[in-house]
Parts: sequence; structure tokens; C-alpha cells
Amino acid sequence: MKPAPTLSSAFLTPGSQSLPQPLLDLRSQRGTALADMPLPTRKTENWKYSSRHLKLSDELATALPVKGKSGPALAVPGYHVVFHNGVMVPEASDYPDVDGITIQRFADLDDSLASELAERLDNTLDAKAAQLARLNSARFEDGLYIRLAPEAVLDQPLFVISETDACSSGSAYPRIYVDAGRHSQITLVEEYISLGDEPVLVNAVTEFTLADGAQVTSVRLSAEGENVQHLGATGVRQQAHSRFDSHCVGFGGPMRRHDLQVRLEQSGANCRLNGVVVTQGKQHYDNHTVIEHVAPHCDSEETYRNIAADQSHAVFNGRIHIHQDAQKSNANMSNKNLLLSTGAEIDTKPELEIYADDVKCAHGATIGQLDKQSIFYLVSRGVDRREANTLLTMAFINELVQQIPVESVRETTQVRLNQFIEQTFEEA
Amino acid sequence: MANTDRQVNELIKREYEHGFVTDIEADTFEPGLNEDVIRRLSAIKNEPEFMLEWRLKAYRRWLEMDEPDWAHVDFPKVDYNAISYYSAPKKKEDMLQSLDEVDPELLKTYEKLGIPLHERAKLAGVAVDAVFDSVSVATTFKEPLEKAGVIFCPISEAVHKHPELVKKYLGSVVPVGDNYFAALNSAVFSDGSFVYIPKGVRCPMELSTYFRINAANTGQFERTLIIADDDSYVSYLEGCTAPMRDENQLHAAVVELVVLDNAQIKYSTVQNWYPGDEEGKGGIYNFVTKRAACIGNNSKVSWTQVETGSAITWKYPSCVLRGDNSVGEFYSVALTHNFQQADTGTKMIHLGKNTSSTIISKGISAGRSSNAYRGLVKFGPGAESARNFTQCDSLLIGDRCAAHTFPYIESQNKTAIVEHEATTSKVSDEQMFLCRQRGIDAEQAVSMIVNGFCKEVFKELPMEFAVEAGKLLEVSLEGSVG
Repeated sequence: MKPAPTLSSAFLTPGSQSLPQPLLDLRSQRGTALADMPLPTRKTENWKYSSRHLKLSDELATALPVKGKSGPALAVPGYHVVFHNGVMVPEASDYPDVDGITIQRFADLDDSLASELAERLDNTLDAKAAQLARLNSARFEDGLYIRLAPEAVLDQPLFVISETDACSSGSAYPRIYVDAGRHSQITLVEEYISLGDEPVLVNAVTEFTLADGAQVTSVRLSAEGENVQHLGATGVRQQAHSRFDSHCVGFGGPMRRHDLQVRLEQSGANCRLNGVVVTQGKQHYDNHTVIEHVAPHCDSEETYRNIAADQSHAVFNGRIHIHQDAQKSNANMSNKNLLLSTGAEIDTKPELEIYADDVKCAHGATIGQLDKQSIFYLVSRGVDRREANTLLTMAFINELVQQIPVESVRETTQVRLNQFIEQTFEEA
Repeated sequence: MANTDRQVNELIKREYEHGFVTDIEADTFEPGLNEDVIRRLSAIKNEPEFMLEWRLKAYRRWLEMDEPDWAHVDFPKVDYNAISYYSAPKKKEDMLQSLDEVDPELLKTYEKLGIPLHERAKLAGVAVDAVFDSVSVATTFKEPLEKAGVIFCPISEAVHKHPELVKKYLGSVVPVGDNYFAALNSAVFSDGSFVYIPKGVRCPMELSTYFRINAANTGQFERTLIIADDDSYVSYLEGCTAPMRDENQLHAAVVELVVLDNAQIKYSTVQNWYPGDEEGKGGIYNFVTKRAACIGNNSKVSWTQVETGSAITWKYPSCVLRGDNSVGEFYSVALTHNFQQADTGTKMIHLGKNTSSTIISKGISAGRSSNAYRGLVKFGPGAESARNFTQCDSLLIGDRCAAHTFPYIESQNKTAIVEHEATTSKVSDEQMFLCRQRGIDAEQAVSMIVNGFCKEVFKELPMEFAVEAGKLLEVSLEGSVG
């Protein structure tokens, strides 16, 4: 048997940005652990459908150059932080000044905070399930450490714009860690965008820890260019009665993947995960979610919708894991897929793993096309066919888009969806 | 409640009814596997050259393969060299002409099992090709079948009498290198059933094989091949019991179904092998490859299974829907208790136009068992207007058992539609209360609720099996509440 290809050692050399010593130590430790890591293949269960899209060539290993530039010309309402190629740009950012909320870049942390953070990084993500998240820990050059004191409430969403400037081939490793104290509240919007056309890799990791009663809303928009491979991971750990609300919007690319792992660790914790994915051309997008019900009396609700057109490939893998003694758990998962073309492919695997008996768990998954009867209904009422297709496709996905609590993201998503529909139903 | 508890405890302790060993001198190979063993096996069976070649090819492939570890089961590694690969009841003559010549010990065994072999066979209207360990001992009801042109014989006999059919179809559905256990089976398969239904024939009766594992340390490697030619129909029944044993016994069977134009095969299984004792000691390892190829247009295959036995079950009866308008069905009840582990499900591979499939799977786990559904529904690019409906429900009884669902759904055709739903629940307190309030004891209530839960599958079973299955479930479940 041919040995499986391993991660090129070129990926284990981080860039030259300065960081506090504890974080540098963590980084080199993670780098050592990654040496000779076998790359996922078709036989790697959680990369079964996506490994063929993953291309980690040595050119991608170089850290993208960091320029002290003014950041993207974005009219972002309210608070925002801008990352440029994985490194924060303070000049372009507008920090909130709210009591009890501390937002610091990794580079600015003092040693005691940095060692505290080094202890906590990676604690929310299972290394095996999200193996490439560890690459970020070996390579990050900066990051955002957000701490919310008990009862602190951020009045407006905080936007974190991660812009990748693909002026040359290379990679960027944005990193965010959010520590939400008791009964604190925050809405965090992550937007991933890109400039330039060189092939690049973005490896982004975001982690949340929610103390008792904390409420976190996370909005994640992955909308980079056709040249960007995106490997993202989000890890969440929830304590009693905390709530995590997630809205992920993904547009396809050469290789796009998002791992979302939520652990409900104490009673009363609950989460809602919504996701929308649209792929066209030869694009790919892979969503892997894991919800772990560790404690009794926790609820989870998950809804993901995929639309795949042309020769694109959309993948969904959702796992609900109810631990032993996590009685009275409620878990619901729904994954609906629209396959708009025979050249396209959709693969879905909604999994249940249950070790407790007094639980209510259900999942449903469908793959299909637009309903012929609905189209007929619209056409018979004078709506032209293309318009009917558009309406029904929008209806399929809008249910989730409308739930996104941040208006500007809703609008951006709408615009992108309109483009998608225009291109997809052009000849129809 | 104390009263029910006592009854329940009694029932829990009830031992496996079919656990006994028949004392017959067996002609058994030394444990171990190498090319010589395969040559000897082939020689004993007086097989033609092509079979030996085929076995050796499979063996060589097997050597290159790794044992799969992806299933959600946990068991000590099997030492394939500690297994004896051949065991046959001692024969006085080369062939047995009538039932009178059959070893009376053997007949007694069948009697205990309640197999309708002698005149009971006639009454039950079932032709039994009883496989005792590895060699088919007696076959009844050959005449009416012969009249209809149906070939129903041990596969070792088919190799001699119908080599052209065997050559053409053996390994055509499950190739020798398909998977680890199928390769092993292809190399050392002992015997099994061969069925050929000619064009336009509706098989006049339900065909049935009772497998029975006997003789300690003998792996059982059955091979079944059923071919339904154009416009034919056959219903095939498979049922199993095994004597009590402390050591784990390996069973790696392969079943191949070939369905041509407009033909239909209905394959029903009741599996009740020894599941191990209350501590999870012993029991059968059941690693089976079952697959049907719907080659012809408008062909249909329906798998129905009731799985209550075996320490470990690893089984995915599949349908390759190649012909246009072909239909695949899978109805399954899998029940696990004590320390049993089951990883079972189906694969529906849609390749032809207008193909459709239905999957109904009911998993029941009790005690400390683990029960997983693992299924694949795949639509190839040519599966125009294909359709699948999948429903898998799990029922948990007790807070130390586990139920899992791993459905793989892959679609490459936009006109194909797949729907999958799964639920997990327990026997609810309300349901129990309602029954108890009406004077039904706890045991009966659970049995009733579970039977209702499985009804969708039971109604697909042939009548005799449906009765057996209901009883089996009752016995297997007894002791799971309290």
C-alpha cells in the first residue's frame, strides 16, 4: 500500500510577526505535533467527499506578506476590526468602548494574559474531527482575544473583516477567541473576503466559550474569490443556560470547508445552527457540524440548506452526539438540498449517535429539484419560467437568510444570491 | 411492581433455547489458513479446476487486504489462523439417497429446532435445503421444483452440474476482492445454496435454508447464489439458530442475487444466532456481505430481515439498481440486548432510469447493547427520475444502551429525489401507563409496543416467518423492562 501523503514541512514554518512568548511556544508545540501529519484522503471518514478538492501545494505554505495598509473600503456600520492576511490592522479598526468588554490583538497581550490564552486555545475543538484547525494553531500570526465580563452587553454587532490579499501565492491564518462571561451578550460577525487572483489558502479558527447564561450570536459569511481555498473551524463550549446562535453563509470556491463543533456541557444550554450554502461552476463547499449533548436538559436545533448548480459539489455532514446520561435532550436536525444540475453533486450525512434513552432526536434530509407542480402553478398564472425558478429557489433559501439578525449581512447575502440565480437560470 | 419485577427477572435469566451441541463425529481440518488448506478443501469437494483457481485468486487478494475497522463495533481481533476451515458431518456413503440414511442424531437436532424436514416438510409446504455445518445433508421437495425447472441445490453440487451458470454468475455481484470478509469467504466458502429460476417461472413454493453452526471452532462460510431469469419470481427464506458456545465463532457469508428483466426476488431472513451470555461472553460474529444486482429492466429485489441474534452483526444487504425501472426494498428489524453490537443497514445504488427504493429500518436496543443503522443511498448521473424514501427509527430500552444512525446520501442527478428521516425515542411512560392501567403487565405492554413499532417490517415477511419473528422478538425482549 502506498503511504498516505503527509503535510509538507513547508507548512510548519510560521511567518515573522511578533507575538508574546507563551503564544510562540504554543505555536511551535503545535507545529511539532503536526509534523508528518497524514493528509486526508478519500478513506478519511470526515474528508470522504472533500479530500479531492484539497490542494496543499508548497507555494501555499508561505505566509502572505503583511502590509500596513488602511484596510478595505467598507462602509461597516458600528464596531469593526480588520484583519489583513491574518494580521490585525489597528488603524482600520474601530473598537467598541463598552464597560466590561476587552478586545485585544494577540500581539498586544502581556505575558500573563498570553499564557492564559495559550492554555485555552484549541480547547473547544476536537483535533481529530477538525484536524486542519490545528494548522492554524501552528501558524497564526495574530488574533483577536475578546473578553466579556459578567453581565457585559455589547450594544451593536462587532464585525471582524478578514481580508486576504492574494497578491502572491500563500496563506493566512486569522484567529479569534471569545470568552463570554456570565450573562454577557455579544453578536460577532465574521466576514471573509479577498482581493487579487493568486491561489491562496485561508485557514481561520474561531473559538467561543460561554459561561452561565451567556448569549452569543455568531454570523459567518465566507465570500472570498475563486482563487481562495478556505479551511475554517469554529469551536463552541457552553455552560448552563447559555445560548449560542449561529448563522453561516457560504459561497463555493475551489475548496471551502467549515467545521462547526458545539459542546453543550451543562444543563439548560441550547444552540441553534443555521447554514446556507450556494455553489456553482466547479465550486465546492463542505460543512461539517458536530453537536455534543454532554449534559442533560439541553436543546439543539440545526437547519442547513445547500444549493448546487452546474458542476459544483456541496457536502453536508451533521452529527448529533448524545452522551450517556444526557437525558431529556432535544435535538433536531434538518438538511435540505437543491440539486439544480445533473453535473452537480450533493452528498449529505446526517448522523445520530445516542447513548441515553430519554431523548427526543430526529433528523431529516432531502435532495431534490424544484417542485414541478409549484413551477406549473406559477407558470399557469402568467409568471415566466425563469421568474418561477428564481422565486422558488429564493423561497428555498430565504427562510434561513431572513433569520440572520444583522441587516448588512442579509443584504450582502441577497446580492450574492441574486447574482447566483441570474447566472444559474440564464439559459433556462 | 414487585411481582412484575420478579417475573421480569425470571425472564431475564431464561437461557438461550436453542443452545445445545449435537454429538456427531465431524471431519474437521486443523485450524489455520494457507493455500494448501484451500487446495485440500477444493479437493475434498472434488471441485473443477476453475473453482480452485477462483478460490486461490480470492485468497491472494485477501492477504493484501486490511480488516475493516470503520463499523461502530468493538471486538477483539479475530485470529484467522485459529479457525478450522472445514468441518463436515461424518459420511457413511458418498451421497445420501433418502432421509433414512441421514444420521439419526442429526435428525434429532433438526427436530429440536423445529425444522419441518421429514413429513413436517410436506405439511409446512417448505422445501428445506438444510445445511448442517458445512455440507448439505438432505434436500427435500426436489421433484416439484424439478418439474418447474427450478434448480435448488447445494452450491457444491451446482459447481458440477451447472458449471456454466456458476462460472457466469459466481462473484459477478460480489467480486472476490470486494471486501475483506467477502474475499475470505470466496477463498474458503464451504457450501451454500444455489438457486436458478428459469425464464417465466414462478417458483411453486417458498425456498428455505436453515443454517446451523455446530462443531466448536468451525467458521461457517456460506455462499448463496440466486439467479432469477427473465420474468421469474422466487421467495427465499433464510433462518438461523446456533448452539451455545463460549468461544466466539466467526460467520462470514456471502449472498449474491442476480435479477434479470422483469424478475423478482424476495429474500427474507430471520437471524437468531447465539448472542453471547449476559456478560457479553461468547456469541457469533456475523460479518455478512449480501448484495443484489438488478441487472434487468423492471426487476425487483426485496430484502427483509429480522436480526435478533449474534454478538456482533456487520451486515448491509444492498441493491445495485442497474436496470431501468428496477426496484429495491429493504425492511429491517434489528434488536440488540445485553452486550450485543449491530452495525447494519443497506446500500441502494441507483444507476438506471426511474429506479426506486424504499428503506424501512427499525432498530431496538436494550441492556448495554449498541445498534447502528448505516446506509448508503446513491444516485449516479444516469439515475434519471430515481426515487428513494428512507425511514430509520430507533427505540431505546434502558439508559445504558446506544442507538446510532449513519446515513450516507449522495446524489449526482438533478431529477432524482431522496427523502430521509430518522427518529429516536424510548417506550414512553405514557404508553406504559395506558397499558398498565388497563391491566396489561409491563412485560406484555413492552412487547406490544415493540411489536407495533416493528409492524411495518413484519408485514413484509412470509407468514411462517412473521409468526416466528414476533415470537423471537418477544423472547429476546423479555427481561429488558423493570
